[in-house]
Amino acid sequence: MRKIAVIYSGNASHYRTFNEPKYNQYLAELIYFPNFLETPINHFDVLLVPSQMNETLLLQAKEKIHAYAEQGGIVVAFGPQPWEWLPNQKWEERETNFWWWKEKGAKSGLVLAAPENDLFNYITLSDATWHQHGVFWPIAGAKTLIATEDGGSVMYLDKVSTGGTWIITTLDPDYHFGSYFMPATERFLDGFLPWLANGEI
Amino acid sequence: MTQLRDILYLDPGHAFGIQNRTNSFIQENFTQIDQYMFDKVDLEPFKCIFFHDFIDQEYLYIHKEKIASFLEEGKVVIFCGHLFKKWLPGCSLFTPKTINSFTDYTISKVIEHPIFEGVDTEDMTFNKGVAGFFARGTHSPVPSHAEVLLTLPGMPTTYIDRNTTKGTMLVHAGRDLFSHRMQNKSTDRISTQLLQWVHDELDSKRGEK
Repeated sequence: MRKIAVIYSGNASHYRTFNEPKYNQYLAELIYFPNFLETPINHFDVLLVPSQMNETLLLQAKEKIHAYAEQGGIVVAFGPQPWEWLPNQKWEERETNFWWWKEKGAKSGLVLAAPENDLFNYITLSDATWHQHGVFWPIAGAKTLIATEDGGSVMYLDKVSTGGTWIITTLDPDYHFGSYFMPATERFLDGFLPWLANGEI
Repeated sequence: MTQLRDILYLDPGHAFGIQNRTNSFIQENFTQIDQYMFDKVDLEPFKCIFFHDFIDQEYLYIHKEKIASFLEEGKVVIFCGHLFKKWLPGCSLFTPKTINSFTDYTISKVIEHPIFEGVDTEDMTFNKGVAGFFARGTHSPVPSHAEVLLTLPGMPTTYIDRNTTKGTMLVHAGRDLFSHRMQNKSTDRISTQLLQWVHDELDSKRGEK
């Protein structure tokens, strides 16, 4: 089982999500964000960076996270990313349609781009379906796992930008589960964290 | 309106909040600082502090005495969110509501209050036909003598507490009440009426002295 560390922002949704026992069992350490620069991380296999992190601390942490990835670490990033801190980041903000499922002929607009990937032995597309806040346009060589119908990337693996692996998604299940909203986000975490701990990445 | 900038808005610095930094309503009425400046800032010029739902509560817990002292000066604190650390005097920790149906998210007014005057409860309960955005639980039990303004079925969501400290606390178990603006529905009234309430509350406290 991989050793997973999570950066903990101290906000209410992250408190709930990462202290929930069924998820906390996969987490070796919650690193309080203001203490991140002083905390050793190289002995962890995975560093999870949740959504909605404080901008100032995130940009201060960028160099350390990139150094960790260069040494072969796996970095996971959740949620919309208005600030430049991911490798070769190309983020496109889009209006969030959270009511799509109320409309006639409702379609979420999501497609599985790599159904053979081991992640989908742990979650289904419907477990990743609530709404999106935007898309990424990853560099050549990155592998999109979940996409929008127009080809934007909702989740991708980037093993080319650094010596390690980046798992980057616009989805923000940490926020929604932690704020008691959107049941699909619980199913997503129920599968995603076991995959992160034990799956083929 | 310049005197209204004596409301301190602690910016959690999160992605969803980025538009608040340049929004004219926020800029004209609040002094915005990064949340982690709170321990350094001189609170003397401020009459009210707004604590947002994305705030770092571990940090506020460390600095809870500064918050308590601010309230003991008779000032106003607004907290919108889910409390999980005891940094706010008298406030119980958040308990989520068990949801079996969307009707469990129905918001009701207990009293007519200026903050929610003219606001249709349907507009609070539903956003684009989806229920659940406004509030999903409670900080119960509320302090004795608290004035409950809004409820979900069977539980208070929003209250004013003038008794636990010498100041006034407005506690809402939900998202940022100041974010209710520019949606072309009656909830747009909340942001400006809440702002007016802060000043009326401070005026009435001055009148008591």
